[in-house]
Amino acid sequence: MSLAKRCLAELIGTAILVYFGAGAAAITLMISKGSSPPNPFNIGIGALGGLGDWFAIGMAFAIAIAGVIYALGRVSGAHINPAVTIALWATRRFPSGDVVPYIVAQLIGASLGSLLFAASAGSDAVMVGGLGATAPFPGISFGQAVLAEAMGTFLLMMVIMGVAVDERAPQGFAGLIIGLTVGGVITTTGNIAGSSLNPARTFGPYLIDHIMGGPVLWSHYPIYVIGPVLGALVAAFLYDMLARE
Amino acid sequence: MRCYLCALDGKTTEAVAICIVCGMGVCMDHLVRDEIEVWEGGYPFPSKKLKRKLPRILCKPCYAVYHEG
Repeated sequence: MSLAKRCLAELIGTAILVYFGAGAAAITLMISKGSSPPNPFNIGIGALGGLGDWFAIGMAFAIAIAGVIYALGRVSGAHINPAVTIALWATRRFPSGDVVPYIVAQLIGASLGSLLFAASAGSDAVMVGGLGATAPFPGISFGQAVLAEAMGTFLLMMVIMGVAVDERAPQGFAGLIIGLTVGGVITTTGNIAGSSLNPARTFGPYLIDHIMGGPVLWSHYPIYVIGPVLGALVAAFLYDMLARE
Repeated sequence: MRCYLCALDGKTTEAVAICIVCGMGVCMDHLVRDEIEVWEGGYPFPSKKLKRKLPRILCKPCYAVYHEG
């Protein structure tokens, strides 16, 4: 498979992830607009059904991720996440020359997904929903946000290593389990820093929000690079150490 | 072993292979040597088609079912 085709698959997969996953967060904010959140830690997601709001968003991500993995996993590997690409490269499983093209494709795909969502849902998706952009919640420090993102991505990468990279893993379950893992992580840590776990997933909404007059959140972007990449690297190297005979 | 299809025609021909699907012994005239592509890898790595194909021998009736339905 040519690099161009694989990059196109990464672009499409990441666009789907952001359209349906981040889109669910934006829709939740649009639905809860005007309601009175019970406390300052609640920005609207949670106003309708408490943690159930986050579970619903997590399931939207879970199903989108599972679908992309089953549909495009054989074409490009369906990383749809720069942190995963970097961790596979760092553990010598992914060629150096393909890393930058993959990440560029993921960033473009995420931006396209956000743009298509804004086109589908209208201006409120940008002005109210912020296109599902992630940011630390009130009272959460930079360090806490990085830790939450690193913890979530650590679990994600550990599961990828265990159910997909490891040749001893049972076949056919990877997409389902990895999707559900992301869904579970979002349910628990969504209200800390948005539970991005993915630099591309945050980049797309940030860029399109900026272009279309929505919130400008770039000052938070280092959280969503440092946390996910750190978590994925630790998980990949730790799994290799644990699984080695 | 004799070729089953030849035996149906009343001939006695030595079989040279066994059909991988139905298991009948077949002579050179009643077999098809098919080759199928083999892929390795898959999530989270792109699948790669291996250079060499996997050979398999089918009798002509089974080959016809596979390729013609």
